Amino acid sequence: MSITFRLAWRNLWRRKRRTWLTVGAMVFSNILLVFMISLQLGMYEMMISNTLRAQTGHLQVQAPGYKDDHKIRQVVPNVQQLAQKLRQGLGTDDVAVRAAAFALVSSGDRSYGAQITGVEPNRESRVSSLPGLVKEGAFLSDTMAEEIVVGSILARNLRVEVGDELTFIGSGRDGSFAAAVVTVVGIFESGMPDMDRGFAEVPLGFFQDTFSMGDDGHAVVVMAPGLLQVGATQASVQALLPAGADLAIHDWDALLPGLKQAIQADFVSAWFMYGILIVLVAFSVLNTQLMSVLERTKEFGIVMSLGVTPGRLGRLVLLETTLMGVVGMVLGVLLGGALVVWLHFHGFTYPGLEEMGGKFNLPGRIYPTVSIVGLLMGPLIVLGASIVASLYPAVRLHWVEPVAAMRAA
Amino acid sequence: MGDWRVVLRLAWRNLWRNLRRTLIMLAAIVVGTWAMIFMTALMRGMVDDMVKDGISVLPGHVQIHHPAYRDDPTISNLIAPPSGELLEVLGRPEVVAWSTRVRVPAVISSEQDTRGVTLVGIDPDQERGVSFVADDMAEGRFLESRDDTGLVVGRKLVEKMETDLGKRVAIMTQDPENEIADRGFRIVGVFDSKLDQYEEGFVFAGQETIQKLLGVGDAVSEVAILGTDYREVEGLTRMVAEAAGPDVEVLPWNEIDTYLGSMLAVMDGFVIVWIVVIFLALSFGLVNTLVMAVFERVREIGLMLALGMTPRSILTQIVAESTFLLVIGLAIGNLLAWATIEPLKGGIDVSIVGEGMELFGAASVLYPALYLEDVVLANVIVIVLGFFASLSPAWRASRYDPVRAITQV
Amino acid sequence: MKPVRCVDLCKTYRQGDLEVTGLDHVDLEIDEGGFVCLSAPSGGGKTTLLNAIGGLDTPDSGEVWLAGERIDNLGKGELAKMRLHQIGFVFQAYNLIPVLTARENVEFVMEVQGVVAGSRKSRSLEILEEVGLGGLGDRLPAQMSGGQQQRVAVARAIASRPALVLADEPTANLDSQTADHLMELFVELNEHHETTFVIATHDQRVMAYARRVIHMLDGRIVGDERREAA
Repeated sequence: MSITFRLAWRNLWRRKRRTWLTVGAMVFSNILLVFMISLQLGMYEMMISNTLRAQTGHLQVQAPGYKDDHKIRQVVPNVQQLAQKLRQGLGTDDVAVRAAAFALVSSGDRSYGAQITGVEPNRESRVSSLPGLVKEGAFLSDTMAEEIVVGSILARNLRVEVGDELTFIGSGRDGSFAAAVVTVVGIFESGMPDMDRGFAEVPLGFFQDTFSMGDDGHAVVVMAPGLLQVGATQASVQALLPAGADLAIHDWDALLPGLKQAIQADFVSAWFMYGILIVLVAFSVLNTQLMSVLERTKEFGIVMSLGVTPGRLGRLVLLETTLMGVVGMVLGVLLGGALVVWLHFHGFTYPGLEEMGGKFNLPGRIYPTVSIVGLLMGPLIVLGASIVASLYPAVRLHWVEPVAAMRAA
Repeated sequence: MGDWRVVLRLAWRNLWRNLRRTLIMLAAIVVGTWAMIFMTALMRGMVDDMVKDGISVLPGHVQIHHPAYRDDPTISNLIAPPSGELLEVLGRPEVVAWSTRVRVPAVISSEQDTRGVTLVGIDPDQERGVSFVADDMAEGRFLESRDDTGLVVGRKLVEKMETDLGKRVAIMTQDPENEIADRGFRIVGVFDSKLDQYEEGFVFAGQETIQKLLGVGDAVSEVAILGTDYREVEGLTRMVAEAAGPDVEVLPWNEIDTYLGSMLAVMDGFVIVWIVVIFLALSFGLVNTLVMAVFERVREIGLMLALGMTPRSILTQIVAESTFLLVIGLAIGNLLAWATIEPLKGGIDVSIVGEGMELFGAASVLYPALYLEDVVLANVIVIVLGFFASLSPAWRASRYDPVRAITQV
Repeated sequence: MKPVRCVDLCKTYRQGDLEVTGLDHVDLEIDEGGFVCLSAPSGGGKTTLLNAIGGLDTPDSGEVWLAGERIDNLGKGELAKMRLHQIGFVFQAYNLIPVLTARENVEFVMEVQGVVAGSRKSRSLEILEEVGLGGLGDRLPAQMSGGQQQRVAVARAIASRPALVLADEPTANLDSQTADHLMELFVELNEHHETTFVIATHDQRVMAYARRVIHMLDGRIVGDERREAA
């Protein structure tokens, strides 16, 4: 191990308390950062995956304009054929067809407006978590069956249970009256009030019949293997679309613009706060290293007389800061990581989280994920900021004259 | 007693002996203080607006409704309009304004589209004082009387339905006998709201018109009451509840919308946590600075002790030094915060993540809100905690053995 | 080619409000293998002259030549390089880095000079032996006497066998016996390796070891004594 390295390390411990206090500041912010960032990343992941699984899937093929207007006449023609083509082309079964319309749903006592979505009973579970969220009864059975599953709040509002009948009335594709009588075969509870209150699903074939859709639908929903593969999958789907077809492919971000933005807003505002914390640590490091260098003026003077350049001494100072920062980082990651691991098993909550959670498809208790990014992102930046902070004391050495320095007290 | 004046003067002079170090520490305190106050003002502003917007749209500060209404907000759960004692209470000065509404789920159809909305039958004169809608008319006019036959619709809804001011739409809803009640309306006004969900979800009509449509006489769904301060609604709630009697439910806004309700409390907690975290980050540097200052003056302190200065005055001196440092830093930091918040009073445009903010329930322009309580809280916490942080180095300094201190190399 | 040659050196510097004459038209030549003392009362200019010779300070006017190369017009970086490889320094006090052992202090300079780790280690032990500190390589400066510390400084100075060693009042903090030992070491090194020594001092007994004593007063050379070493 080089002498310079040994020198840097030992210089740190000349003033133990000072070094420990500075390292303490680093460890404190590192623990905070590791905890907060891991929590955030876990939350975002959950928000995205829960919402995607329940609502939009990763990608959807739709008629252009449908995303914004949701008009029943904006259809994807021969939708099941297209879906089958995609299934074969992508080599996956995670593709399903949907059609949707708004209707007034009535039980004997009550009427409520709700969105009725026609889905493929045997395929929907591949792209959505909803079939699995049926708490009473069962999911839809056959594509032509006159069945319906409704959200728990809707069921309560309509005063219906599994086995009861509902009528719904809406407007068909051709403008005609679309009405039907269905049996409630299942009641789902997604935890998202909006879904549970205003959403119901019926079999696709039955929907197409009732709403005069023919062989058309409104969306082909595709799930990619993972969030990171969405882009590639989108490209593949694009290639598989029939030439000249007037269809649009939207990824989840386009379908749920608020979601990504909400995450971005949250992340950016958090980083504003983290930034302040890191700046404060940097000040601490600046002060410490500056004092440390000034104390050694005479010593540096002598060393420079021997022919050691200010540049080399500057690098020594930077090395000292780096070593200090690494200690702070290791301790911070260990302690912060321990905290995250503990929370990973026990969950984390604070008053108000439950209410907030509902809006974002989050449970009232968060279980942060343990990830490399979450553990290292904050501490690495603290380390970097500390090194930058010590640039001033290091560079300042450039202007030191050995003779003057040796005369210092 | 001149003793403590000498001590203070010494403390002050000592502060400036190592100018560079003091300035760096000061800079850190200024940045920390600025961040405390600025961030707090920003977040408070956002939450305040969220809450105010949320409240102002419909529920008011306190609401009276049928006990079963919250679960089942339909035509079957109506109450009689205020009379007798309740009416008298509503005339008291604690009640700034109140209004009655008939609120039912409905379906609105234009030539192009059909959607689910909430139909609100209002008394325009009453409503003006309670909710914001009357002020946010973008086109046309607001409703003029209880029996006005026009409809006021949100701009986003008008766009989505591809209709326009002056056009006719059909409203379909359910009467108490579970029969469909429908009627044509002409759109007489278009309103804007900071939150898209309100523009799309609510339509307003004359209360009497709706009551007639539904055949419910003069019954209403809810009474919305505005008090003087949305943060202090307990007294108002109690007063109204006593007068309203046992047949109805009286709730303050924070129990009706628990998400909003929890926001304020979460905010309060956040502010304290943020302040403490910043202080802790600063404290490492503060203690370090004091320790270094004391260390440099070991001989001098030893001399003072030998000459008869009491350990208590040494302690006071160090604590005073620390307090001076904090007070100056706080003063500059407060000023800086005020100076940066003032110009931003016009609002910070975050529309780039506007849709994300919608999900939170916040608008896309943030208005910082500087509260005296927050400023006082920040300053007090820093001074008090700073006092405790300085005790350790001060204590050590006062315990020096004069002889050893003087002969220290 | 003389190891040291100064031509008409002048230097003034400020001390507070005063302007002090450090060097006043100094001319000097030193032979190879020389053992020279610069003698002057405090403030007489010996340190200033030493600094000029060692490239630590640039004169206001005049020339400084070391081993046939002119150094007074070199930049800071080049001067540092020169000092690193061609000159050894021994100062009055605080020579050593307090957190490094004796051996590490010697090794440190060698590391800066670019000597590889293996040779560094063996060489530094060798040198420490040579100055009589055989078993003390792993001691910290605080664990050594003043005289031992100075010997370490000497070891460090000669580690790369420079042609020139400059010492500024090396014995000022030592008792007379230790001072004598140190000077004997200097003489030995000077004889063994033909290293040129220039020592600034006002201590008569140090001068007794020198073969040439240059007397200075107020920045001027007022005497140049050749003598027989004791």
